[in-house]
Amino acid sequence: MLSPELLALLLLAVPLTSALLIAFFFRRAGTIAQVLSVGAAGAIALIAGHLIFRMGDAAVSVPWLTLGDFSLSLGFLINPLSKVMLGVVAFVGFLIHVFALGYMKGDTSIARFFGCMSFFMFSMLGIVLADNLAMLFIFWELVGVSSYLLIGYYLERPSAVAASNKAFITNRVGDFGFLIGIAWAWMQFKTLNLTEISAQIAADPSLALTGIALLLFCGAVGKSGQMPLHVWLPDAMEGPTPVSALIHAATMVAAGIYLLCRIHFMMTADALNVVLIVGVTTALYAGVCAVTQKDIKKILAYSTVSQLGYMVAAFALGTMYAAKHPEHAGHAALTVGAAAAMFHLTTHAFFKALLFLGAGSIIHGCHHEQNIFKMGGIAKKMPVTFVTFTAGYVALIGFPWVSGFWSKDTILYLAGQVSPVAEKFLLAGALLTAFYMTRLWVTVFWDRPKSDHSDHAHESPMVMLVPLLVLAVLAIVGGANLVYQPPLDALVNSLPHPDAATHHRLLVTSAVIVALGFVGGRLLYGWGAANDRLETSIRPLHALLVGVQRCFDVAYNWYVANVQQRVAELLGFLEHLLISGLVVRGSAAVAGVLGIAAKSLQTGNIHGYVYWFLGGLLAFWFLAFGF
Amino acid sequence: MNDSLLLPLAIATPLVCALILLGGKNYWGRAVRAIAFVGFVVPAVVSLWCWYSYAPSTPGGYAFIGRWATGLEGLGITLHLGLNGIALPLFVLAGVVGLAAGLFAIQARAERAYQYLLLLLFMQSGLMGVFASIDVFFFYFFHEMALIPTFIMVGIWGGRDRQYAAMKMTVYLTVGAMLSLAGLIYLYVQSDASSFSLIDLRNELAETPLSASVQKYAFGFLLLGFGILVSLWPFHTWAPLGYGAAPSSAAMLHAGVLKKFGLYGLVQIALPLLPAGPAQWSSILTWLALGNIVVVGLITMTQRDVKQLIGYSSVMHMGYAFLAIATASTLGAGAAVLLMVAHGLTVALLFMLATSLYHRTGTFDMHEMGGLVKKAPVLAAFFVTAMLASIAVPGPGLANFWAEFTVFVAIWQWQPWVLFPTALGVIISAIYGLRAVGRIFFGQPTDAFEKKLAEPVIDLRWAERIPALILFAVLIAIGFWPRSITEGINAALTGGKSPTSEVARSE
Repeated sequence: MLSPELLALLLLAVPLTSALLIAFFFRRAGTIAQVLSVGAAGAIALIAGHLIFRMGDAAVSVPWLTLGDFSLSLGFLINPLSKVMLGVVAFVGFLIHVFALGYMKGDTSIARFFGCMSFFMFSMLGIVLADNLAMLFIFWELVGVSSYLLIGYYLERPSAVAASNKAFITNRVGDFGFLIGIAWAWMQFKTLNLTEISAQIAADPSLALTGIALLLFCGAVGKSGQMPLHVWLPDAMEGPTPVSALIHAATMVAAGIYLLCRIHFMMTADALNVVLIVGVTTALYAGVCAVTQKDIKKILAYSTVSQLGYMVAAFALGTMYAAKHPEHAGHAALTVGAAAAMFHLTTHAFFKALLFLGAGSIIHGCHHEQNIFKMGGIAKKMPVTFVTFTAGYVALIGFPWVSGFWSKDTILYLAGQVSPVAEKFLLAGALLTAFYMTRLWVTVFWDRPKSDHSDHAHESPMVMLVPLLVLAVLAIVGGANLVYQPPLDALVNSLPHPDAATHHRLLVTSAVIVALGFVGGRLLYGWGAANDRLETSIRPLHALLVGVQRCFDVAYNWYVANVQQRVAELLGFLEHLLISGLVVRGSAAVAGVLGIAAKSLQTGNIHGYVYWFLGGLLAFWFLAFGF
Repeated sequence: MNDSLLLPLAIATPLVCALILLGGKNYWGRAVRAIAFVGFVVPAVVSLWCWYSYAPSTPGGYAFIGRWATGLEGLGITLHLGLNGIALPLFVLAGVVGLAAGLFAIQARAERAYQYLLLLLFMQSGLMGVFASIDVFFFYFFHEMALIPTFIMVGIWGGRDRQYAAMKMTVYLTVGAMLSLAGLIYLYVQSDASSFSLIDLRNELAETPLSASVQKYAFGFLLLGFGILVSLWPFHTWAPLGYGAAPSSAAMLHAGVLKKFGLYGLVQIALPLLPAGPAQWSSILTWLALGNIVVVGLITMTQRDVKQLIGYSSVMHMGYAFLAIATASTLGAGAAVLLMVAHGLTVALLFMLATSLYHRTGTFDMHEMGGLVKKAPVLAAFFVTAMLASIAVPGPGLANFWAEFTVFVAIWQWQPWVLFPTALGVIISAIYGLRAVGRIFFGQPTDAFEKKLAEPVIDLRWAERIPALILFAVLIAIGFWPRSITEGINAALTGGKSPTSEVARSE
């Protein structure tokens, strides 16, 4: 008999089995590994579909660990929120697996790639289904591992090794707070089960603590590349492009947003303010960073950071909105904050996966050239890629009536209702998005080819184009209600709807922003250029922007090299000097001196010994009888 | 078969095998290896059987009890063996790590193999005895029995600086052992108990607890003595040096199992018998343990020698265990036991794989390595997995994660501020762990290394994989089925008259 929990278990078992089979038996059998991994992804999509549309909600858990007064149960929590996330992960994941079949063709360690992809699916689904903070954290670490393995996929490149280490360590900085938050949450609620915590807070709202909420948010800051821990995500582009699409754009980096939605009831007003500030700053800052990038994947990476900032802001704004308008909460399946954030997460997953896969298709076609100023003229060489990429482009910049428009406008609307300052920042971010994406789009696709690589570009095979086409359709229509069948319709139905006047104002604002960004991009870059016009014509501004983009990395590198490493070396030196040298050798010296002193008593003179003996006897007598 | 004979069997088999080898000659060849094999397999099988069939029969949670006269009854000493929920996981640890170390030593074919295996078997017998003893005298006796071969093995079969390392280890560990012995004797004398049996001592002290000042001094002695044995900062410098020099199977057994003697003593003896002790020392212990985590953690990051790195990281992890004990709560004590087992398995794995690494590269210096994954992918996979487990990434290291996580929860319940520096360990360990595997296996090899690897490198052989897989299997089993040991731990800590409940928490 199929039950939700059985399906959930299957969802974890299928990719894990695939990963283990590949690891143990098919390390050298690339073809079998491909079939297994893509088959597993397909099975996941089917099971997930069945679970989402045919099954109700469920919450089951089994006792796992009891130690003293600490006890922990692990289990699944399947509700509209996790169903939305499950749909995104399973569906987009499957498409990217198919794409990877074409992209990774001819690679020497293809089995390792697909093994890691299956392992990633396993870990990511674990995050989605987990019903408690500890289990969520476990899978959180596991996606970190799979991300580490896949960023470092090109093992022999020193830059890939550095990037994978950076990703994992930066995430651990976030996890530092996350773990403390979980320990505190246990102390506060005596359970880590999300449903139980939610019930406790519903009964007594004062139980929610700002400290816990912010510490848990640290985890999201790390995983979702929010400032100041965003530095790992652009570097993570060292991994193969399907990995960038799946892990570093559509799903894993969105796990932080999902975490926030999952623990929304633990938020307090103060915590939400911090979350909002982090989200809004990241959205704008990453947009600025994207403007000076030349590597197509890095532009998209910064864009991802920026959009994640929008999602974080969306969560904060929506939750604040719901607090201000309690009448809206009603019986919606999702809270306003969760719905707004998840809506943008979903459309973003479609169009950003599409953009990354498109970039992958271009890179594949251009013989691994990634500099946009060495491309050009791709529109003619790769028409399908061009059309689909353009769909992603219009969705990302929020062109009216395309998917990104709906989700971004919801955020802007909420911002207008709750925090006008945030709204201005977010609008500026949208302007930047339109600008840097236009820059990318005209430079890559129009004008003439700027290098041999792009001159010899060829369209990618069908296996890569089909996922592009499917995603392109979703990137266009993904904002419309009718795409979301129940129960996924909660995503759009839970959102507040602006009245007609506000709606028109928003529409016009968005259109103007997009137009401004587009015109700005076109003015500066025309129909493509062989070098960065910003760099050549407005030098100081470009230098400033590059400085802004690099400042975090510079500061962190300085800290690591000059503070952390120096302190560590100093401690190592002191340990050697003080403990090994002075104290241990010193005490050996003391013992040696005592030994010499004692030896000097050994005169070999029998009279001497007799005196010593008598002295000892007297001392003993005094000690024993005390006189 | 009578249950009570299981434990003597596990202790005696390696001892008997060692005695057979004592009369052996190098030309026995295969027979030596067969005898040693028996000596390592029997304790492991017995320990796993005990784990499987453990059903506590007495209020203290002891099972497999047996008592034999020694002729020293006048001094209160009998050979009293048994396992409770705390001893059982460590007994299993000793059996399993012993088996892996033994298999690894058998396949390594050292010079004068029969002498080496003899010492290792002797050590194994002592290790099984330590955790099977209810009698405190034998608990200590077996520890010495396991400790002495370590010195000899380091001194004769060790690597660089082996003389100095052996001397330093001997001095430190002897001082530590002496101090803890003094503490144990003091405790025994003050308790007015008629025997060294831990059960008797517990009953005696439950009726008439020791005065606060006696508890304070006894606990202080035990803490310092055991602390030195477990490499409490700043008494830790013997550890990285000694492990760096020790032959791998000796390092596996010492770092993996024998070092846990001190922590085990604190959890099994000091906490229940001296419940007022920890509170007196907790502030000092906290600072020293933080020294283990933060100071030693940072020092670990600067290591170039992979074996020293593992040694330092093991010292660092002991900080978590000390903090868990400092909380003096049931959760903390249980978390410490969990940590001992998980850490013991992983550190043994790492020492073993580091030696396999050395056999292929001829160096322990990570700065001379790079790109080894191309030549030895299986070794790389094993090593990376073990390293991730050691830095408590769930997966194969799920047990390590449970241990660290429960330690963290215990600390937060006790003194929240302590958790902030403690949790820094999460970041520090990721830095040194990932840097190490990055340097060894990924990236480009140095020119010198390239030359060294010019001749074909053999990937991890099955003879090396099997001991590693045994360790992984037990680690994974505990991670996925933590209840198999935590239920026993709970019963031992809270059942009967154990005083280690949440007393310290409210302070």
